[in-house]
Amino acid sequence: MGKFLIRRTLLGLLTLFLVSVVVFVATQALPGNAARAILGRDATPQRLAALTEQLHLNRSVFDQYTHWLSGILTGNLGTSAATQEPVSQLLSGRILDSAFLVLVAAVIAIPLSIGFGVWMAMRRDKAVDVVGSTISLIFAALPEFVIGIILALVFATQVFHVLPAVSLIPPGDHAWQHPNVVILPAATLILAVTPYISRIMRGSMIEVLESDYVTMARLKGLPERTVIWRHAVPNAIVPAIQVSALQLAWMAGGVVVVEFVFSYPGVGAALVDAVGNRDVPTVQALVLIIAAVYVVLNVLADLATIMVTPRLRTAGQ
Amino acid sequence: MSDESMRDRRDHPLTRREVLHGALIGTATLGAGGILAACGSSSGGGGSSATATGSAPTTGAIKAGGMLRVGATGGGAKDTIDAHLPTADTDIMRVWNLYEPLAVRPPDFGPLQMMLAESLEPENGSSKTWIVKLRSGVQFHNGKTVTADDVIFSLNRILDPKDPKVGATSIGYIDAPGLKKIDSLTVRIPLKFANAAFPDDIGQYFNGIVPVGYDPKNPVGTGAFKYQSFAPGQQSVFVKNPNYWQTGRPYVDQLTIIDFPDSTARVNALLGGQVDAIDNLPTGQIAQIQGNSSLKVLIAQTGEWQPFTMRVDSPPFNDVRVRQAFRLIVDRKQMVEQVLSGQGRIANDLYSPFDPAYLNTVPQRAQDLEQAKSLLKQAGHEGLTVQLTTADVFQGVVAAAQVFAQQATGAGVKVNVNKIDTGTFYGANYLKWTFAQDFWATREYLPQVAQGSLPSSPFNETHWADPAFIKLIGEARATVDDTKRKQILQEAQMLEYDKGGYIIPYFSNQIDAYSAKLGGFIPPRSGFPLGNYWFKNVGFVS
Repeated sequence: MGKFLIRRTLLGLLTLFLVSVVVFVATQALPGNAARAILGRDATPQRLAALTEQLHLNRSVFDQYTHWLSGILTGNLGTSAATQEPVSQLLSGRILDSAFLVLVAAVIAIPLSIGFGVWMAMRRDKAVDVVGSTISLIFAALPEFVIGIILALVFATQVFHVLPAVSLIPPGDHAWQHPNVVILPAATLILAVTPYISRIMRGSMIEVLESDYVTMARLKGLPERTVIWRHAVPNAIVPAIQVSALQLAWMAGGVVVVEFVFSYPGVGAALVDAVGNRDVPTVQALVLIIAAVYVVLNVLADLATIMVTPRLRTAGQ
Repeated sequence: MSDESMRDRRDHPLTRREVLHGALIGTATLGAGGILAACGSSSGGGGSSATATGSAPTTGAIKAGGMLRVGATGGGAKDTIDAHLPTADTDIMRVWNLYEPLAVRPPDFGPLQMMLAESLEPENGSSKTWIVKLRSGVQFHNGKTVTADDVIFSLNRILDPKDPKVGATSIGYIDAPGLKKIDSLTVRIPLKFANAAFPDDIGQYFNGIVPVGYDPKNPVGTGAFKYQSFAPGQQSVFVKNPNYWQTGRPYVDQLTIIDFPDSTARVNALLGGQVDAIDNLPTGQIAQIQGNSSLKVLIAQTGEWQPFTMRVDSPPFNDVRVRQAFRLIVDRKQMVEQVLSGQGRIANDLYSPFDPAYLNTVPQRAQDLEQAKSLLKQAGHEGLTVQLTTADVFQGVVAAAQVFAQQATGAGVKVNVNKIDTGTFYGANYLKWTFAQDFWATREYLPQVAQGSLPSSPFNETHWADPAFIKLIGEARATVDDTKRKQILQEAQMLEYDKGGYIIPYFSNQIDAYSAKLGGFIPPRSGFPLGNYWFKNVGFVS
């Protein structure tokens, strides 16, 4: 187990390093640079020259990258080209707000969809199962921004006027101080990920319910509740854990779109803006954070799989 | 949005002193050759003229007090609060409310209105040197009185050769070392060449007067609102300036400017009652807002134009017959309908429609495909294929490119629309594209010429450098007499009408939306949304 963790951590760091190189090269391939992006149409040669100088954009690409990398190794994310403030200061509030949104969505979506999957599996091929499956397929097929727009129409702007249509959070405050602005974006994320997890759970649960040991448990006369929750679910849950981890990782990036729809002041809006501004240090920081979330979640999912699978858990012993 | 959702907001300041007046703004008009260069840069604004179709500005009594929340797009992390560096609409909105220039065109684009200057006159009748007399007793937000030193400091800051600001493109011809304080309220401004258009060039929102030693970290100006907080890409909060020099203004106690990443979220915020006004309402949503009794639409016919730019020094457009043919290809009415949903009016390949010297005596050009074909044939360009470079730089331009390509097929011309991203458009080939598009704000003629129609102009996309034209502009600048200057300017416009590199199909409308609880918006022919963003004039009606 320890070896496994060390190996995965080292591989994760290598992945992050490669991601940083790829992203850096990709940002260099974008037309224009931060100075041009900031000045836009006002980019007269004089102003362009002055700003290029101020932003140190006249250094070589290699210099810029090594300068950035050495900063990272000492925990310094660099200075934003757009605001001239430290990237960490620019992003810390946004990261917390996005993390809060994803967390709220995950805490609700994962148990809900696992429970829903089990419930449908137990009613396999009955009307509720068919209807539930169809509805979840529809949500799976809808892009998340469509779900977001529909929710805003229904709950904020056209039918009911009960929730804010856009998530305005006063600068300096955090999302948890204004819980009502989190409801619609979180609901959108929940509706976007629930179908995947619940359908996987339903599928693997059906398989498990047909297995010999479940039949055996029932024949032993165990109460149905014990059969389901002690014998069937722990065996059916492994694929759901993997999918949940993938969905969580997706949320870390997919939140970009949802945040855009609701004007939620998280990393999504910051990333879109930073790419538009050719603000390389900010883009690098955000992409690395999102990549790190992927890596960590995958390691955690593998760990969880090992924990619930006795054969794997005891393999090294 | 229901009334309910808006109701909780703004009712309490009833207790505030009700100041109501039909109050005119202290206008002072001024002498100089009425010219104005309006926006310098780009704003996505639109321009507008005064006919508000749809909904007229509310004319109820405006109460003092309340908190006004305005939503705008175009901002982001690069937002600035610097008086001299506004680029995005959100920056422009902040600048209009915190700072003031010496003079400026009001929202209706009427004569230049004196702001911090009491007068702005040519010295001894020559437009080569100008005397600014300041309004006395005006205070900055920090309590300091505005003096000649502040004017000189501000101009030097804008013109700084090592770090030129936005305004350097409009008043770069000031002879900065010669700036002279005559007394504490009088400054002498010498120019490198005579220019009757100087008052309009300096009378720009980005040429605000700031106190000596100004640091944007402590954004002090003389505007109707004072800085309270600013978070780039999120929101800015300003409060009422109690010592504002125009009595009775502003009405509201607090102004909050909220950035939105896209227009859907912004319109939703208005519908949901989270903001009180938004700029640049998409034309597709006019009907929806007009059908909502708690909201109003502000429509203004502006002098804003989005031209096709043909490089007059580059084939095939170096042949004047090709340029003339292309101007005859355009069905302007159809373009207004299809591109602007009817929100605009046709133009005649000339800009600055509100300038008293605007050449309105020449025939309106209309589509004439036979004539276009014949001109192309004479030029040896039958069956011409050209590339039109476009980007999403302003609403409608990409659609206009597509409509133009479609209309050109009628004259046997194949137009390949090359849509590229904005970064590439403003990249290394910026101002060098053979056939492209651009967008311009409402301006008077001479200031516009200075921006785009002379070899010395910073944004001469058509590479127009006609010697006769240049000579006429020089003469006009040196002519202080309005009538004589008008004559010269019309001759110059005649040259552009016959041979110029612009195709100007229309002037677009500026469309904004706001809550019916608000009053005081003036339809902005200037093209600056929401009545020049002059929120000092806006308040809640009882």
